[in-house]
Amino acid sequence: MKISLNNKNIEVDPGKSLLEICRENNINIPTLCYQEGLKPGGRCRVCLVEVDGKLVTSCTEKPKENSKIITNSEKVLKARKMNIELIMAGHITTCSIDKDAHDLCGMLEEIGLTGIRFEPIRKYKEDLGSSVVRNDNKCINCGRCIRTCAEIQAVYAIDFASRGYNEHVAPYCEHNLADVACIKCGQCILHCPVGAIHEREHLHEVMEVLKNKKKHVIVQTAPSIRAALGEEFGLEPGTLVTGKMVAALRKCGFDKVFDVNLGADMTIMEEASEFIKRFENGGPFPMITTCCPGWILMMEHFYPDLIKNNNMSTCKSPHEMLGMLTKSYYAKKANIDPKDIIVVSIMPCTAKKFESTRPELETGVDYVLTTREAAKLIRFNKIDFKNIKDENFDPALGIATGAGAIFGATGGVMEAALRTAYEFGNQKTLEKVEFNEIRGMDGIKEGTVKVKGKTIKFAVAHGGANNRKLLENKDKYHFIEMMACPGGCIGGGGQPPHISKDILKKRIKAIYKEESNMEFKKSHENPIVRKIYKEYLDHPLSEKAEKFLHTKYTKRSQF
Amino acid sequence: MQILEKTELKALKKARNLGPKKTISLLNKKGLTGRGGASFPTGKKWEFALKQKSKEKYVICNADEGEPGTFKDKFIMQKNPETLIEGILIASETIGAKQAYIYLRGEYENLKSKLEKTITKVIRKAKTKVNIEIILGAGAYVCGEETAIIKSIEGFRGQPYLKPPYPPVEGLYGKPTVINNVETLTAAAHAILLDNWNSLLRLFCISGDVTKPGVYELPAGIKLSEAMKLAKPKNPVKSVYFGCFGGCMPYKDIELTHDNICGEDCVSGSCTMIVVDNTRSIVDLAYVISKFFAYESCGKCTPCREGSVRILLLIKKIRQGKATAQDLNLLQELGEHIGQTSLCGLGQSCTNHILTSLKHFRKDFEKELR
Ligand code: SF4
Ligand code: SF4
Ligand code: SF4
Ligand code: FES
Repeated sequence: MKISLNNKNIEVDPGKSLLEICRENNINIPTLCYQEGLKPGGRCRVCLVEVDGKLVTSCTEKPKENSKIITNSEKVLKARKMNIELIMAGHITTCSIDKDAHDLCGMLEEIGLTGIRFEPIRKYKEDLGSSVVRNDNKCINCGRCIRTCAEIQAVYAIDFASRGYNEHVAPYCEHNLADVACIKCGQCILHCPVGAIHEREHLHEVMEVLKNKKKHVIVQTAPSIRAALGEEFGLEPGTLVTGKMVAALRKCGFDKVFDVNLGADMTIMEEASEFIKRFENGGPFPMITTCCPGWILMMEHFYPDLIKNNNMSTCKSPHEMLGMLTKSYYAKKANIDPKDIIVVSIMPCTAKKFESTRPELETGVDYVLTTREAAKLIRFNKIDFKNIKDENFDPALGIATGAGAIFGATGGVMEAALRTAYEFGNQKTLEKVEFNEIRGMDGIKEGTVKVKGKTIKFAVAHGGANNRKLLENKDKYHFIEMMACPGGCIGGGGQPPHISKDILKKRIKAIYKEESNMEFKKSHENPIVRKIYKEYLDHPLSEKAEKFLHTKYTKRSQF
Repeated sequence: MQILEKTELKALKKARNLGPKKTISLLNKKGLTGRGGASFPTGKKWEFALKQKSKEKYVICNADEGEPGTFKDKFIMQKNPETLIEGILIASETIGAKQAYIYLRGEYENLKSKLEKTITKVIRKAKTKVNIEIILGAGAYVCGEETAIIKSIEGFRGQPYLKPPYPPVEGLYGKPTVINNVETLTAAAHAILLDNWNSLLRLFCISGDVTKPGVYELPAGIKLSEAMKLAKPKNPVKSVYFGCFGGCMPYKDIELTHDNICGEDCVSGSCTMIVVDNTRSIVDLAYVISKFFAYESCGKCTPCREGSVRILLLIKKIRQGKATAQDLNLLQELGEHIGQTSLCGLGQSCTNHILTSLKHFRKDFEKELR
């Protein structure tokens, strides 16, 4: 199909939107409510262009034969500016430190908006949750959070309520987000163009304990932080910053820096043993992984039958396991009173904030910070992150295997578990450790492996909507990995925002690069893991292991 | 009145005898067009839906009469519900729908039980397989918009969405759906049955500063002065508003046709006329109407959601004597902006009244400036 775009005749794909066509032709169009991968909203009306003299929103409009499209006329620029002015007038601009990260603030200069002719009118209470905080006074009603929650996560925790200028985002029946069936995944945060939703911050509490000389403050970082933290400091997505991260955190005043990857190895030891036990007892199948607290909440709210039927593994998530070991095993070894130890987890995840308050789970973790909060902490300490010299994790609980490292990517937990389960079950070495069929960004992936002559069917899903889809066929499988966030933890709700598929792929690549650098590829080969079992836990699923490393679940309301 | 003639199921019988194709061409020949405002040929709409291959199809009767100053659907539903229901059955059987809905304005709840009884009676007599259900709106003006009705019936927020897909192709629950308003469906029965059916007759709702407000059946093209003679204004007429969204014009004796009204920058829409006499200030009217639109904006898109309340606040400022000439310019700018950039018909027309009154009665506004 032929159209004229800014007076140039071009051939276009009639199935694409004008916005996509413009961007392909390197024409910048500002957008607020548009988000790649979601249905267009047509709400903000900032992406206006002129089609045959009429103003239309380019994100919703398909090209028409021989139409004449102008993207930079006076009329277009004026109308865009007016809509931004109207939006800004309704938006409280007390942006926090990551102002640059917000689409709206970022476009003001380009649009040329200097003064606002209207008075602010919004007055809402902040919705403080255990993981996710919403501030409707900042909200610009773009609906990206709502569409993300519905289309990507299939949770439907929020929607618009009221109409006209009273329209606002609201959880079910105007309750607080903390009190409804929200899985606290934080995906909505990643896509908010103005920072009206963010994590419940624990940064200031952590800064307080860091000042307290009596406390031994330990930080532990999740597998996926090192592949994304660099983005907060202007490094290319996919830059691996393990050494810089450790160095910077040490500089922030943490006494020890531990690697949650070790916790991941512990999880695998327990989970693989649990699976082999079920395998020998003939069920119950499928066994479903439990590393993701977002998925746990989804299961408790919407699929509580999985608890009743014992489909869920009982393993705690890796950082909870490591936190428990830090406060027991490590405390004993280092001769420190556990009461004086503070464990801070840096996680890609907002749901983990909630997890550490679960009464079902005896926790060793005192505070959970997101990747973004960690970046803020590093900035507050005026550390030159880009140029800091690499350092290593503290060895006491800091050595991990490649199996632990890949936990950050979708399919990683399953792959790591299979490596160990294979060897536990078959009592022989697994030569090829890669399970390529469950790597990558496909929503649902599956494969088979032989254990003791029997075929084990396994499957992996990431993103709430895919989790739901996979559950429809769950009985086909023996072993299932579920992650609430698209891409796995690498795309978690606590990660640097502006996630696109492209960025996710780059982060995943970094994770597998980290793995390939590692000496050991299988969790049970980890010398520290062996030591911990030898000195402290005896063997996987022992009474002590059950006490420290396992948990239970609670049925929750659907609404 | 033609619209009150009872067809006694004879129109349905005739349509059954003719079969869908011939029924549609008869409607086309008679020149029946939609009475909701868009004037789309009814036969064509039905034909689109008929052509779709789908087991399920739907007919929706739009009875969400929310436009201020409009009350003709209520009039029909009270005085001639049998013929309306017959019209719905004809539409349903013609396109092959087994389920029809009447989307009744929430404020018309009092009509519901009588209407339901009539439906049962007519359906029994007509021996039809079509089921008709009444769905009560929840009071949103925007649900007069056909895509918002679809969302509302489906149980979602009553907010419009962008067409295409057009409802006759993909409508309610994704199935082919014909949406016609009350007057159109009633007229369809008449058009099919009556040999001397007059396609020009329309129902006009006249209200405001008149001594005889009400529903009048008049031919399109009649002079405004003739209509006024019937409605008997109290004082000399200053202006006529064509509903809230249609805008206003200074009183002059034009012929009431779509083109003539548009020539005055107004939109005739559903033949609604609110008469305003010389005792009133146009600014007061602007205030009331702006309040209505700020309240009724569905909230979906920026210009209408944020802009309509800004318009209201500006007019408030003008009435308080605090506004400057700059504010008046801003009012004009916003008015044009909202009209040009809103998503649906509500937003696109919600400032017509501002733009036309600023054009014709700017002095009324200027008088109140600081
Ligand atoms: S945290 Fe997740 S579940 Fe909760 S509202 Fe946001 S996207 Fe939905
Ligand atoms: S909270 Fe953010 S993403 Fe959600 S509607 Fe408001 S501005 Fe958009
Ligand atoms: S123009 Fe108004 S009523 Fe229409 S979609 Fe936008 S906000 Fe809703
Ligand atoms: S980006 Fe197109 S309307 Fe918001």
